[in-house]
Amino acid sequence: MANPETGSPAAADVGLPLLRIRGLGARFGTVEAIKPLDLDVNDGEFLTILGPSGSGKTTLLRTIAGFQPPSAGRIEFDGKDIADLPINRRPFNTVFQDYALFPHMTVRENVGFGLRVRGTAKAQLNDRVDAALGIVGLEEFDARYPSQLSGGQQQRTALARAMICEPRLILLDEPLAALDAALRRQMQNFLKTLQRQSGITFLFVTHDQSEAITMSDRICVMRSGSIEQIGTPRELYYRPKSRFVAAFFGASNIVEPCRIHETRDDATIVETPVGQFRISGPPPDSSSGLALAIRPEALGPEDETRVNTLELEVVAVSFVGSETITELRHRRTSQVFTMKTRSDPAARPPDIGSILNIGFDPAECALVTEAAN
Amino acid sequence: MRRLRLLDFSLASVTAFVYLSLYLPILLVFVLSFFSMRRGRVNWETFSLGWYAKLFKNEALGDALLNSLLVGIAAVLVAMVFATLAAINANSRPSSRSAQFLEYVIFLPFLLPPIITGLSLLIYFREAGIPRGLPTIIVGHAVFVLAIIYRILLTRLNALSRSLVDAAHDLGASNLQTFRYIILPNLRMPLLTSGILAFALSFDETMITLFLTGTDATLPVRLYAMIRVGFTPEINALIALILGFSIILTVALAYAWGRNSGSGGNLIAKTSK
Ligand SMILES: Nc1ncnc2c1ncn2[C@@H]1O[C@H](COP(=O)(O)OP(=O)(O)OP(=O)(O)O)[C@@H](O)[C@H]1O
Ligand SMILES: [Mg+2]
Repeated sequence: MANPETGSPAAADVGLPLLRIRGLGARFGTVEAIKPLDLDVNDGEFLTILGPSGSGKTTLLRTIAGFQPPSAGRIEFDGKDIADLPINRRPFNTVFQDYALFPHMTVRENVGFGLRVRGTAKAQLNDRVDAALGIVGLEEFDARYPSQLSGGQQQRTALARAMICEPRLILLDEPLAALDAALRRQMQNFLKTLQRQSGITFLFVTHDQSEAITMSDRICVMRSGSIEQIGTPRELYYRPKSRFVAAFFGASNIVEPCRIHETRDDATIVETPVGQFRISGPPPDSSSGLALAIRPEALGPEDETRVNTLELEVVAVSFVGSETITELRHRRTSQVFTMKTRSDPAARPPDIGSILNIGFDPAECALVTEAAN
Repeated sequence: MRRLRLLDFSLASVTAFVYLSLYLPILLVFVLSFFSMRRGRVNWETFSLGWYAKLFKNEALGDALLNSLLVGIAAVLVAMVFATLAAINANSRPSSRSAQFLEYVIFLPFLLPPIITGLSLLIYFREAGIPRGLPTIIVGHAVFVLAIIYRILLTRLNALSRSLVDAAHDLGASNLQTFRYIILPNLRMPLLTSGILAFALSFDETMITLFLTGTDATLPVRLYAMIRVGFTPEINALIALILGFSIILTVALAYAWGRNSGSGGNLIAKTSK
């Protein structure tokens, strides 16, 4: 089982996590959508749940929110078990993927709904709605109906509506999925800034790894109902534990099988079909299906930092603007590598069929196993 | 070009024929409610509202009309309550036993020959010792129109995103508040349209009513009984009135439907507790 404490920068100085999940499982009939898992969400952090379609992200979020009864386990919020709390009493709010704005209510009525059902006095309600609309920049749109708003405006309305009751935690299920690329980037920045300034804890779901990297304090990678790895974006990017995480974060060159040849203080020497390499750090605990994962951008001409070397034949070169992607092949084993380098206007691209001396940094590759847990 | 003209012409004449055969008799009745006939021709000099005056003095017909209105409104209201509950149940738990069972049962009175429905109800009321009268007719009609209201409400509910209800709960609304602020506003239009439709069905329902009538007849039943003794000319005035009423209902229905298909609308704007 994944260690929830791993790589949490905040874990050390915050005693109790805001949300503490232990052995939580969920099933649909015979389908185990979430296998019993542990997860801690710290107060004030931006935690992203990342995983491919069908990995159980939505189900996990819905179980936390209370829409989906858990089949096992406990959920604690602020130290209190909330398993038996009905949805409308849970002390946090959700931003839905389809926004779920009430079509028959104006933006103002939508945003104020949470206060209205709590019986907040009219004057106070209006003030707080004004404040929330101000935060998301929708002051001028308060009399419109959701059908009269753009995608981004609907998104902001949903956000304001979820924030109006000042929850300490907001759950967001792929809130940006429906937006086009430019608007999406804009909203990513907006969300991140909002989260930092408000101090509200965000539990955010996405299947887009670049979105997860740019926005999160920590990322929790899910795979078929289990947590594969939790860590900071840098940890997952540079130190993936499994092939799955490595592939998800773009370390697409996988060399296998790997055998540990020697373990030193600061490095591990591995034996692979394409040569012997030095890898920074200790070997993983398990060695089942051990493989070496190398990022395409870690490969480059051999030099004093790229001390692990290979002789590779050029198969194809494609120029994609700022970067050049070179397909390489190891002659004896036919193992294929992809190399991504910065395009150099002065350099002539290598000839197809030529042999290059390629190297990579021991710190820019990772030993990965079949599964992280 | 020539062929097209011919086609246009034949289409036009068929249309004309259909419309004439449908509406000419109705038009005739309408005319006859104001004028009298002499030797097979309308006498245009005799305009009067006399038949209408006579109609309102005809207690048998007037009472029957009132009964029909009363039965229709009461049956629709009763059916609305049950249909709303059933539709919400079916919508929130579509695969539950109760919803599936209801799905079949609710349509039975609608699909069965009315004579069977009427007869079963009659036998039931007799065994249960309930005397026949307006209440029994209301029950019969409510059972009969339940299906149509249920179906229209359920269609609307199913078209609503499930996450609206989730969102309401998430924001702290109780079940009752969710019903009042989220579900009901979205059901207003379908309730109105299905109500009008159901009222129209109830208004001309004859067969079931025949079995359930005590001394208070509804209009169709009264008219049916009058066939034997023959009609007096005020019947024309009655038909003209019902016709006018139907036209108003139809227009209202079309208008409501037209609005309903448009965007949300401000149905419960500014509801305050
Ligand atoms: N209502 C349901 N009934 C049965 N199985 C379900 C239901 N909802 C989800 N599942 C199954 O549970 C698993 C996890 O689904 P979930 O929706 O949580 O995935 P996800 O990670 O959110 O995927 P996506 O990125 O596509 O939204 C899937 O195998 C899915 O088929
Ligand atoms: Mg999902």
